[in-house]
Amino acid sequence: MEHPFLNTPPEPEDKGAMTAENIKAALAGESQASQKYLAFADVADSEGYPNVARLFRAVAFAESTHARNHLSVLGMIGSTADNLKAAWGGETFEIDEMYAAYDAVAALQGNASARTSIRYALKAEVDHQGIYDSTLKGVEGKKDLGAAPVRVCPVCGHTVIGDAPHECPQCGTAGGYFKEF
Amino acid sequence: MDEVFEKRLPKPEDLNAMTEESLKAAFAGESQAAEKYLVYAEQAEEEGFPNVAKLFRAISFAETRHARNHLRTMKGIHATADNLKAAFEGESFEIDEMYPAYREIAKVQENAQAGRSIRYALKAEMDHKWMYAQSRETVLTGKDIEDKPVSVCLICGHTVIGDLPDKCPVCAAAKEYYRTF
Repeated sequence: MEHPFLNTPPEPEDKGAMTAENIKAALAGESQASQKYLAFADVADSEGYPNVARLFRAVAFAESTHARNHLSVLGMIGSTADNLKAAWGGETFEIDEMYAAYDAVAALQGNASARTSIRYALKAEVDHQGIYDSTLKGVEGKKDLGAAPVRVCPVCGHTVIGDAPHECPQCGTAGGYFKEF
Repeated sequence: MDEVFEKRLPKPEDLNAMTEESLKAAFAGESQAAEKYLVYAEQAEEEGFPNVAKLFRAISFAETRHARNHLRTMKGIHATADNLKAAFEGESFEIDEMYPAYREIAKVQENAQAGRSIRYALKAEMDHKWMYAQSRETVLTGKDIEDKPVSVCLICGHTVIGDLPDKCPVCAAAKEYYRTF
């Protein structure tokens, strides 16, 4: 067994370039594993395997702890103001570059279902970009966000602060299905 | 899954190669965003911004919806027995190939924290691999696995079915550091 930091996640360090690349790749791998297991848990529930579903959710959580550890080593966990800036930057890249390019390719190739999946995401990222921007202004003034609930469409990820719409403007799902945070 | 959702979700599709590459990359991006936002939520809570924390958790959930939609479109979600096989194979790759290679490079580059983050993940993936293998055997007979608690170490992701150890055998965290599913 090792050293003094036993009960804390690994800490940021200056890394060799190859190790930094590897930890980034491991972050991508753990994050994707976690998301797959959450999706697999829903399938297990629908097939009548509630305990398998619970196992998938537990292991998804374990992969989240690994993703957090890798993020910590990479020095990618900042103050909340910095995190909001990073989140805003990520959403902006997805809106201006990533999804715009992917949608053009999917349109060219006539992949309709892929275009739906891309459109759902792109529309929600626009919500997120705006919300992160206004939230950052508050946090820079040491003010928390208001206490209003945040609601998310379980089909397309459309995100609103406050009341759910009658039906989702992106995918038509009834507002009653929105998940409240 | 609920039929109300089913009809609005993007459907599995035969994708052209470039569109498939796009969706794979988008799945990687959404998965990592979801994990980052969960970590940012913890940071916001520590800094006394509970509503910003709630926002990060809500938007993380929105990204999990996008990840699920992309995965579904790419035909990455199957019956539970097949999902368990895919999960087993993913864990095996991480154990046999990915993390041993990354560990050696971190050693050469003397990156101790990266080494620790890698070791924590590698150890937990070994737990996951056999849990998935055993669960698949059970599911193939049409039965759910036993209704026992599954617990995960908050520090290193060590995963255990049934009783908790006094302290984590991987990172020595006390048993209060486990989250039970």
